[in-house]
Amino acid sequence: MTADARPLSAATGHRRRGKARRRWHSLHPYVFVAPSLFGVFAFLLLPVLIVFGLSLFDWELLSDPVFVGLDNYVAMAADGTVWSSLGVTVLYVLLCIPLQTVLALALAMLVNQKLRGIKFFRALFVIPWIATPMVLGLVWSWIFDPRDGAINRFLEVFGVTGPAWLSETSLALPAVALVSVWQNTGYNMLFFLAGLQGIPQELHDASSVDGATPRQRFFRVTLPLLNPTMFFVMVTNMIGAFQAFDTIYSMTAGGPSESTTVFNYKIFHTAFREFDFGYAATLSILLFLIILLVTMAQIRFFSKRTTYDLS
Amino acid sequence: MKRFLLYAVLVIGAFVSVFPYLLVVLTAFKDRAQLHTTAPWLPGDPMTTANLEKLLGGDFPTFILNTLLMTLALTAGQLVFTTFAAYAFARLRFRGREVLFWLFVATMMVPVAVTVIPLFLIMRQLDLINTWGGLLVPYILGTPYGIFLMRQFFRGLPAGLEEAARIDGAGPLTILLRVLLPLCKPALGTLAIITVISSWNSFMWPLIITSGDETKVITVALAALKVGIGVDYTAIMSGGLIALVPMVVIFIFFQRYIVRSVVLTGLK
Repeated sequence: MTADARPLSAATGHRRRGKARRRWHSLHPYVFVAPSLFGVFAFLLLPVLIVFGLSLFDWELLSDPVFVGLDNYVAMAADGTVWSSLGVTVLYVLLCIPLQTVLALALAMLVNQKLRGIKFFRALFVIPWIATPMVLGLVWSWIFDPRDGAINRFLEVFGVTGPAWLSETSLALPAVALVSVWQNTGYNMLFFLAGLQGIPQELHDASSVDGATPRQRFFRVTLPLLNPTMFFVMVTNMIGAFQAFDTIYSMTAGGPSESTTVFNYKIFHTAFREFDFGYAATLSILLFLIILLVTMAQIRFFSKRTTYDLS
Repeated sequence: MKRFLLYAVLVIGAFVSVFPYLLVVLTAFKDRAQLHTTAPWLPGDPMTTANLEKLLGGDFPTFILNTLLMTLALTAGQLVFTTFAAYAFARLRFRGREVLFWLFVATMMVPVAVTVIPLFLIMRQLDLINTWGGLLVPYILGTPYGIFLMRQFFRGLPAGLEEAARIDGAGPLTILLRVLLPLCKPALGTLAIITVISSWNSFMWPLIITSGDETKVITVALAALKVGIGVDYTAIMSGGLIALVPMVVIFIFFQRYIVRSVVLTGLK
């Protein structure tokens, strides 16, 4: 009996360890995703739930929250500043996106050529992308400075007196949008470049043999084949542009007379300057819905057009 | 002739890309009078380091250190937690995998504006406003974007790597850390660079969650310099120089990683 005891206990020990190992084996995927999963639930999904709840309350932080039902939504619908801010946002997006997409594609085609030193130029074109957007706003405020800024001093050389760019309601928004174009064009170029390099040379050759002009080749071959890249660049850039904040905070702080108060800035201001948290939450839901709708519209638009499998 | 035109366009584009950086350097070494007496695109005569000295003699070194700490913490967290999750999503089979992954991808669409207000209130509830905890906690567990990027990479690794190691008796941790991770260096490098840039450049969350000097970062400190009338651009550009130089250095040395982020997130 005693002689048997040792092997027996060793066997159960082994079995127990085997059980622990099996349990670890079936559980370890969950352990691996657990921290990230917790992050997503606690800091992304829970906030979304909270924001919906918050939109039903009137809460100015120092007092207790008061349940007001849909009052915030009713107030939002009647709030003229909300709609004018939405108008500013749409205008901002329209000023940025077409320009920074077309320019990026043009640059990509330019740097896709075999030229000496082309890699050096590619790198230089991307360098705006790494700049701290908040600092960038300060730098461009200085460039646009009415008295000593680079632009107006340059105009002065030709005897032209430049305007006070950031203090004029009609000029401030284009000026702010220009900074986004400056920052994002080069990075977008990289995506288009990758897309262009994925197009087999034979397709270009074949279309030339068929007598296609360069113009036809661009619109009939290159552009359709870049469809997936175009989709990606448009969607990510739009989502970003609808949330512009840093550069606007540092360049104009929403002014002059709210002409650059894009929606994200308005939400920030309502929450953290006016401490109207319930109302700000309601505004942020509207922004969320708009971004969702615009993204879905883009998905529909791009999926209707043919995509080609080049693999 | 065509070649000459192409180079002309390239040079103009390069100039436009670099000019604002150049302006930061030139302005940082001027005094306030020279802002008016010299053209913005010319160096100050004489150049002065007074702005930088004044900035570095004050609280600014603390802000630089804070920004550095924040960047390191967020990047380390991103690399560790994202690697584990992305590996599980890419190469392990478990119940609910697809649902959870698409949940991650869907959260990429949630605008920051929607989350900052409740996040602020959560941090307020936890008494974490104006603390390192408040600054770091929401973003240290990695981002859906990072998981997406790393998953793409893990999926591209040849199948059967794990099987060979498992036959040799390696457990899941050993397989990940010893077999797969060494192959992930390029992707990890890309993720690290992207995270360093976005953390160093972050502004909205630090602005909201910090107000005291103990946790203030460079971007928030610089925002405070541009208030009221009579903005001193020499001081602001000195601070801007300090904020931008590390990013430019990183770009010069690691630009191939940035290019790779395009290939990894793009479309294939």
